[in-house]
Amino acid sequence: MARFFFDTGDRDLVLLDEIGVECGGLEEVRRVGFEGLIDLTRDALKSVDGQKVFVEVRDENGDKVLRLSLSLQIMLMR
Amino acid sequence: MSPTSSSDVLIRKLETISEIREAEIAVLKSIPIQEKDFSANHDLVREGERPVYSFVVLDGLIGSTKYTSEGKRQITSFFVAGDIPDLHGLHLSVMDCNFSTLTPARVGFMRHDVLRSICDQHPRIAAAFWRSTLIDAAMYREWVTNVGRREAYTRMAHILCELIFRLRAVGRIEDHIADIPITQAALGDALGLSTVHVNRMLQELRRDGLIATTGTRMHAIDWPRLTHAGDFDTTYLHQKNPAD
Repeated sequence: MARFFFDTGDRDLVLLDEIGVECGGLEEVRRVGFEGLIDLTRDALKSVDGQKVFVEVRDENGDKVLRLSLSLQIMLMR
Repeated sequence: MSPTSSSDVLIRKLETISEIREAEIAVLKSIPIQEKDFSANHDLVREGERPVYSFVVLDGLIGSTKYTSEGKRQITSFFVAGDIPDLHGLHLSVMDCNFSTLTPARVGFMRHDVLRSICDQHPRIAAAFWRSTLIDAAMYREWVTNVGRREAYTRMAHILCELIFRLRAVGRIEDHIADIPITQAALGDALGLSTVHVNRMLQELRRDGLIATTGTRMHAIDWPRLTHAGDFDTTYLHQKNPAD
């Protein structure tokens, strides 16, 4: 087990994770990050074309490990 | 560890929610209470069991929990010192949820047959127990509303307000600083949030100057603003003399 830090944000606000989550490997990091991205999307995604939300994972040395992101596209069709 | 006896913990709680007098207090003091210490994450009562005891929380934090068929856990309420989380077991013989320690905890077991005969002879005590389970139900209603309809930030603020308010009501904390050695995973199970989002919400509350945390200590630095952020109205806790 090692501690990973899941920074989360959208364009306006990035919050650094100061607590971290213990994970047993990259697969778990990915699962934990994905669950976080779903909650973040529900909370922070507004009806704004082009908005991005993301989770960026650091290890204990501060090295970047993984990034998961979603972006919203709104297109008027008529 | 507080020096008061386990009966005193129980009596103090019942006094905050009901009208019990000297006569009832003497009877409550006569209830034999078997104290036991448990480490965190211990199941005190499991779903499907037929307990012959109910327990009063003496120290620490207990959660009522349910599991989905996929094995996901939902914490459905917290219980603090003085609470009798499984008092409904006195009338509903098969337990319909689990009660687990969320932190190291001390609890006191009381025999159902003793409680039943006391209720038969002392209507005021029966009423106080009834009131206690009614307030538990009110807390469950609030919990459903919190998890189902409030945004994550409000949800987190609300649960912290409830814990701090309840710990204050039974004299466990004097101010708005509580030692809550609960894991983020457990907070996530209580709030229906991922661990990553729990961390983000705690971070946001800190950034906004509502809480400060040192290790497991949680300090509500700005109580009025925290209650506002948490959409926290104490009516559902039905305290006789609310401290705040």
